[in-house]
Amino acid sequence: MKIHLILTGRAYQQGEQLPEQLELSDQSRLSDALAAITAALPEGESLQGSCLLALGGTHVGTVDQHQDPQLTEGQELLLIAPVAGG
Amino acid sequence: MSSRQGISSQDCGNTFAERKIDSPLSSDELERYSRQIGPGVLTEQGQQQLRDATVLVTRAGGMGGPAALMMAMAGVGRILLAHGGTMISPDLNRQVLGNEQVLGKPRATHFAEYLRSMNRFIEVEAIDHEPDDEEAHQLAARSDLVVACPPTFKERLRLNRASVAAGIPFIDAAQWGISGTLMVLKSPRTACLECVYPTPPPFEELFPVVGAISSAIGSLAALEAIKVLSGTGDPLWGKMLSYDGNRGIPTVISLTRNPQCPCCQETAEDAE
Repeated sequence: MKIHLILTGRAYQQGEQLPEQLELSDQSRLSDALAAITAALPEGESLQGSCLLALGGTHVGTVDQHQDPQLTEGQELLLIAPVAGG
Repeated sequence: MSSRQGISSQDCGNTFAERKIDSPLSSDELERYSRQIGPGVLTEQGQQQLRDATVLVTRAGGMGGPAALMMAMAGVGRILLAHGGTMISPDLNRQVLGNEQVLGKPRATHFAEYLRSMNRFIEVEAIDHEPDDEEAHQLAARSDLVVACPPTFKERLRLNRASVAAGIPFIDAAQWGISGTLMVLKSPRTACLECVYPTPPPFEELFPVVGAISSAIGSLAALEAIKVLSGTGDPLWGKMLSYDGNRGIPTVISLTRNPQCPCCQETAEDAE
């Protein structure tokens, strides 16, 4: 199964190190995708725990606290590293 | 009002639809706002609702400044403008309410004066510091809507708590670099900011930013506030608009309430 991956916000640079599509085994869940993303990052780097996650346009929590739905072929996983900034 | 996208203005409680309109718009006011009253824009009643509304904007820098300016020009009747400190040179890449002559002078006072100069029909109250918990609650209780533009999540979450307690809409505008986010919330009908960020994410107070994204997000925040207050269009209730300036791509996501949210759980239970 392939899912589309977008990383934006405060840590967009991390997104440049990641593939636009993730290849995962069938029946994979969100936690599997996050593990694959972490594995794809340079050694010692990880996703910010407060990074927002949205699957198919719906918010499913943060990297640290999220639902763990099963993924479907072609789904878009959006990671928004939080921004404040006034 | 209607919504084609889930949560409607009716669901969020139209604070303003049932408000008694004290007086109709004067002929001078009608002329002043004639380009924004009519089909596809505001109704006359919507314009009256804007005039009778109070909005708290904190802070009034890169995004809060353009947001306050656009609301002032559109005719939001009373703006409470909170921003501490004095104008410094690095502010001038994005803080549109200031200028070279304001350097070294208190921001709130001068920004408020500029807003008043843009619309003779409105009132602007300058608050020359960032509100603490107690003052945030007091200010929210006097307001119909909050536009939150502080540089830290700590301040944003404080304003969110005050908005939830006051039962008023909360618009969160945020930026970093050349990207930004915008949320339109009214708990318990939508998520609150604490549902989205259960713990304050780390964020530097001196962040990099290009003024163009500040003005873009600030203006969109004002547009959402104007829509909510005037009953125009479909506000982004319960959604986050994320604009990725690096790729030039906007994305909208639906935000999910946290039923265990320590901030809005109690309000939700009261509403049931």
